[in-house]
Amino acid sequence: MTSKDLVLESAADRTIRFERDALVFMDQLYAAALRYTKNPEDARDLVQDTYMKAFTSFHQFEEGTNLRAWLYRVLTTTFINSYRKKQRQPMIANNELEDWQIDQAQSHTSDLGKSAEVEALENLPDSDIKNALQELPEEFRMAVYLADVEGFSYKEIAEIIGIPAGTVMSRLHRGRKLLREKLADYARELGYTTEGKAAKRSDAAEEEKS
Amino acid sequence: MSLFGAERIGCPEVLASLVFIIEDAIDQVDRPDEVRNHINFCPHCAQQLEHERLTHSFLVDALRRSCTEKAPESLYESIHNQLTAAQANTEVVTTFSMTEISIEIDEFGNVEHREIQIEQTHIQHINFDDGLPGSKI
Repeated sequence: MTSKDLVLESAADRTIRFERDALVFMDQLYAAALRYTKNPEDARDLVQDTYMKAFTSFHQFEEGTNLRAWLYRVLTTTFINSYRKKQRQPMIANNELEDWQIDQAQSHTSDLGKSAEVEALENLPDSDIKNALQELPEEFRMAVYLADVEGFSYKEIAEIIGIPAGTVMSRLHRGRKLLREKLADYARELGYTTEGKAAKRSDAAEEEKS
Repeated sequence: MSLFGAERIGCPEVLASLVFIIEDAIDQVDRPDEVRNHINFCPHCAQQLEHERLTHSFLVDALRRSCTEKAPESLYESIHNQLTAAQANTEVVTTFSMTEISIEIDEFGNVEHREIQIEQTHIQHINFDDGLPGSKI
């Protein structure tokens, strides 16, 4: 009887442990799911599916390893396997590695100009930043989000998405570049202009100060 | 750039490595020492790296302040309920197996050997809301 009790208790304890350890990441996973699916209903379903999948394979999770990264892996895999099909996302080409290094040689800087770009990043409204991120192709969006918002290392991202580390670096590079270009477009609409010609807005700000 | 060995690796190659430096993954590039060395001696690349670092940190700040949605409150509830239901459907199958062996030797030295196999299977459905199975309550 002793051995039977032990089995029963650990099954129940497992649920308690799962709720205690995994549900604290719900808000984070939801924000990520919003970036992946681009809409609140799918994001909600994706998070719920993620938790159920994680729960049923919780015994495969090694305690003491990174639960947060593991949950992101379940989230990402679930999204790629089920939701992406539904959403019919345009996929980037398989030869994404081509030319990207050559491409880096031409400096990253958008034609907005260095100081204007930094200023724009500080001042652009949240909605513009989210929209720019949404406009990125999915593969780039995921890599950039996982690295720059969630702070995962490129090695963790390789595990989470299930791609080689070199591909992560290429997606980060291209994704950030594209994101900066899109943000520069939004900034231009808001009146930030090229370096050299004083920006209308900062001119106005200067005048107010003096 | 041809000063102090900076010619060993070209600016384009170094600029291509900046994302690795920013990701703290310089060891992933082909010639990490030469890249480091080049940056020490090439003001153009050093400046470019500085700019990339700065812009990246502003980009990270912008993204983090924008992506802060909270999950709807009802989501916690529905996940908890679904987990509870999944737990309720959990079957614990316990199989006991026992072999009884008896050996009898009579006064004439005849050996009688018997083995009885006993198997018993318990199937228990765990209902999480009924308290912890195995607890004394």
